[in-house]
Amino acid sequence: MSERTFEEDQRELESIVQRLESGEASLDEAIALWERGEELYRVCSAKLDAAHGRIEELAKRVEEVKPGNGAQA
Amino acid sequence: MKVEAIEYGDRRVFSVSSFNRGIGDWLARLPTVWVEGEVTELRRQDRWQSVFLTLKDPADGACLGVTMARGQFDALRLDLGNGERVHVFGRPELFEARGDFRLRALSIERFGLGEHLAALERLKHKLAAEGLFAAERKRPLPRFPRRIGLVTGNDAAAKRDFLTAITHRFPPARILVAETYVQGPRAAIAITEALSAICAAPEVDVVVVARGGGSFEDLLPFSDERLVRALAACSVPTVSAVGHEQDTPLSDLVADARASTPTAAARLVVPDLADLTARLDRSRATLSRGARGTLDRERRRLDGARDQLRRAPVLMLERRRAALEHAAGRLRALSPRATLERGYAIVRVEDEIVRSSAQLGPGAKVEVELGTGSFGARVEEAR
Repeated sequence: MSERTFEEDQRELESIVQRLESGEASLDEAIALWERGEELYRVCSAKLDAAHGRIEELAKRVEEVKPGNGAQA
Repeated sequence: MKVEAIEYGDRRVFSVSSFNRGIGDWLARLPTVWVEGEVTELRRQDRWQSVFLTLKDPADGACLGVTMARGQFDALRLDLGNGERVHVFGRPELFEARGDFRLRALSIERFGLGEHLAALERLKHKLAAEGLFAAERKRPLPRFPRRIGLVTGNDAAAKRDFLTAITHRFPPARILVAETYVQGPRAAIAITEALSAICAAPEVDVVVVARGGGSFEDLLPFSDERLVRALAACSVPTVSAVGHEQDTPLSDLVADARASTPTAAARLVVPDLADLTARLDRSRATLSRGARGTLDRERRRLDGARDQLRRAPVLMLERRRAALEHAAGRLRALSPRATLERGYAIVRVEDEIVRSSAQLGPGAKVEVELGTGSFGARVEEAR
């Protein structure tokens, strides 16, 4: 996968959507844009899933080391 | 009764008894007279038959004992106080058993304020005009005096009361005692000197002048101008505890604080240690409660921050996800796929989209893309 950030991909996706919405793209371009957009969506979605997984994992680790309520003197 | 002398040769000798009787008889022949003076040492008790007082000449202090039958005295309803000037009507008399000469009073009339009181009143006005009694001059007493100076009489009662009260209230108190004459002609000077000496002693932070109750005259030294001025000039705060509640010697007016009794003076001078300890304990309890409260508050705030921290990344992810889905939704709405879903198809020949049949010859191989899936085909006829 490229070194691009989520935000860059998201921005590109947004600009593709805008381009498509403007109705100025030819059918060939529209199809290419659409395919590119779908790919960007997959990439972004995968990045979000990964981030979500990491957050869940981190939260679980924090829960484990959290001082139990009432355990302090 | 006859007065008879015993003969020792040519010497005539009288017994004490007959001498007294003779003088008594002679005195009794003197006429009744009016005598003016100031009442001092008035002594009256219900179980006594007579009332006693001393009549004093204000000019030179000469004294005369006076007695009066208690019934007669009470009937006059004079409510006499020491220091009041009176006219006494009576006759001289000798109390023969003791050879005491006195005036047997038949009547007493109030004359007016005694000379002493008038003089005292004049001095009081003079010193008040100088501002010696002004409230602005009053200094606060120290809360915890390092040493307490006590000027008191050698009669002990006042001293004992004061010391007992002090040690009871505040056991660690240190007291420097100056005993002095508090009565008699030299008292005022003696007290003044004792006061100066004690003020000069190191670490003395407050001075108490104490004297138990006494007659008006007994308390006079405490109204002496020299002592009053010495009290005003004292380098440390002063307390006057002289006489009883109703007495107001000038020392009471000039001192920074006045107490009705030596015991009351002790209460002014030192705090109550037990009370102090209790207050301290209460303060400490409040303090720890306050600290605990702050701790709890901070912990709650921290917990809140932690919860926010935990939620923040998830929240951010959700926001991004929503934005992404929104973009994807728009993308799909616009995509050719949606058109294909409605039954249209895209026909490609060698990756070129076929827009006109002119692009095709019979037998040409085309790719047809549908809403779902695609297939290859050959052209049979181009029209």
